[in-house]
Amino acid sequence: MFNLKSKWLALLGTALLAVGPVLAQDSGPLIDLLVKKGLVTDQEAEELRVDLVKDFVANTSAGKLNLSSSLSEFKISGDLRMRHQYETQAPALAAGSTAAKVTNERVRERFRFRLNGDVILQKGWTAGFALETGQAADSGNQTFQGGNDDYSIFLARAYVGWSPNQNWAFVFGKQKQPIYATDLRWDADINPQGASEVYKYFVGSKDTFEVRALQNIFDDRNEVTAGPNGRDAWLFEQQAVYTHWFGKEQLNSVIIAPGFSKYSDSVIASANGTTNENPFTNATAGASPGSTRYLSLMTLAGEANWASINGAGTSFKLYWDSAYNFEAASRVRKVYGLPLGTWNKDAFAWLVGVGYAYGNGKVAGDYSLKLDYRSIGLGSTDVNTSDSDFGFGKLNQEGFKFATSYNVTDFASLGLNYFYTTAQQKNLTYTLANNDHSQLLQLDLLVKF
Amino acid sequence: MKKYLLVLAALAAASGAFAQKLVIKGSDTLGAKLVPSLAEAYKAKHPGVAFEIAAEGSTTGIAAIIDGTAQIGMSSRRAKPTEVSAASAKGVTMKPTIVAYDGIAVVISAKNPLTTLTKRQVEQIFAGDITDWSAVGGTPGTISIYTRNTSSGTYSDFKDLAMKKRDYAGSSQKMAGNEQIVAEVAKNPNGIGYCGLAYMNEPGVKVVSIEGAVPSKASVLARKYPYARPTFYYTNGEPTGEAAKFLDFTLSDEGQKIAADIGFVPVR
Repeated sequence: MFNLKSKWLALLGTALLAVGPVLAQDSGPLIDLLVKKGLVTDQEAEELRVDLVKDFVANTSAGKLNLSSSLSEFKISGDLRMRHQYETQAPALAAGSTAAKVTNERVRERFRFRLNGDVILQKGWTAGFALETGQAADSGNQTFQGGNDDYSIFLARAYVGWSPNQNWAFVFGKQKQPIYATDLRWDADINPQGASEVYKYFVGSKDTFEVRALQNIFDDRNEVTAGPNGRDAWLFEQQAVYTHWFGKEQLNSVIIAPGFSKYSDSVIASANGTTNENPFTNATAGASPGSTRYLSLMTLAGEANWASINGAGTSFKLYWDSAYNFEAASRVRKVYGLPLGTWNKDAFAWLVGVGYAYGNGKVAGDYSLKLDYRSIGLGSTDVNTSDSDFGFGKLNQEGFKFATSYNVTDFASLGLNYFYTTAQQKNLTYTLANNDHSQLLQLDLLVKF
Repeated sequence: MKKYLLVLAALAAASGAFAQKLVIKGSDTLGAKLVPSLAEAYKAKHPGVAFEIAAEGSTTGIAAIIDGTAQIGMSSRRAKPTEVSAASAKGVTMKPTIVAYDGIAVVISAKNPLTTLTKRQVEQIFAGDITDWSAVGGTPGTISIYTRNTSSGTYSDFKDLAMKKRDYAGSSQKMAGNEQIVAEVAKNPNGIGYCGLAYMNEPGVKVVSIEGAVPSKASVLARKYPYARPTFYYTNGEPTGEAAKFLDFTLSDEGQKIAADIGFVPVR
């Protein structure tokens, strides 16, 4: 007899099977509710569950995946960016040079592809990887060239993390940059390799105090060789980060982050595999080639945010960053081979910027604007980690960066970046600091998935 | 301890009838007490039937149906999607039949003064977040956790029902069956473990209530006890032959009375 219960079951079964691929894994609570209300029996519910699972595993790609039971979450994400880039560089001429001033101009059509896999395991463990099209640490870009040749994919991240509780986090491997900093000191594309530790202490209900440390193994050297040539190159960076929330509903915040970083004293040869645009190479004759020596940086970064939740949410930001190299004089004289009687050591690098955002960049119509002015002194900081686009990653530059982005859909955005720099000390022809002035314009179409 | 109960009915030599063998594998929860008792009662009525019962965990029961090495797979958990998929690939249709309900009782030593725990505390204890009884109001002492082994349906059911699918504490000790867990907890004043309803009334242990709910027939049927679950016979499609008859017997008044007498909650 086709009673009311049977009708319900038939209707439910038909409905769930019709959308089985989507609902099979989510229909358990619905079935439980129907059992609880007496619309189906436990036995009928079990048969329905099996039918749904069979349909799920037979007809969906997700159902055919057999993921480890230790996985709590496996997130796959990525982005693809198409870029039109216009750039000019005017090399500095030595004082008294009679050579003609030249401004080199270049237009490039570029792209970047990134694919990230991040897994959350049990007991606070995480792991992940990232693939991207560029090999250089500070860029995933490839320029369209080579007569339609194909492009390589490189491993940009491979890490294991462990967070035993809400206070501690440890990450090992090639990982996302853990230090709070702007691109004055850390290019956003760089994934440092080594180990990092974060200790977070909650002060009151929202304020936090963090201690962050990074042991970045920059290069491996053969210890058979005595002295700096046989010493591994490590960057040790440690930082305190205090975040204070204030204002109505505590939407506003201030972050203060002082820190200290230092390289081990090591010498890296140009042939040692670094592909950054400005590795520790090309020192002038007579100086230690590619040395990480004499970089002891005191850093101070931070920001103040004023946010409103009205509409899509807006925020205004004032941010800053700075670095002072206590060994700038030795860096300039002994590594770069530049006499201090002629050239200033310029130990200080700094940045001040303002930003405005409408929304958070995840919904169509969201947009953001950022403008900063920055100065990177000759002996101030590390060109391997600073933004490779500002003055083409060279020292002895000052100028501004303007960046804006507009979401045309929830997942696609248009972007514009513009950099303009000029030399702080004129007529400096040293390779890592020889831009008289430069411009860089980037027009982007970014699609995230 | 590997539990392997082999029951061979005596051949009906006098009558000359050929003995039929029913192979049943899987859950220790079902296979340690209930199914052997059902088999004995069934044999009394059908002397020509022999039983081979192996109670080594629900996973082995489901695998046996997929592999075709048993006619009935006992399970205290539902088949996983991967198992259903593996079965489909071999042309096997997983057919679950609920044969009884069970509650997973949380047991501690009778010497332990605690009488109740919250669901959150149970999760924290078995996941290893809480390691000392003093953290839940008990007498100070390092908690010893006893769980079933990984092939057990109770092992995975308890993770689902009580632990938000988290993993067990690394220090937990894995036991082959309900009786082993109860025996270990009875010996250890700092012990905690879990077992099916049929195994909880043993000397030396006591059952803790979960936010006031005590595992019982009434609380399981009323769905008031949080760690309640159905138990299953899995077959390849609709059972036939002796397997169908034994399933019918299990669901009969007589079979369900046996289940109730042992400590399970009948399906009706």
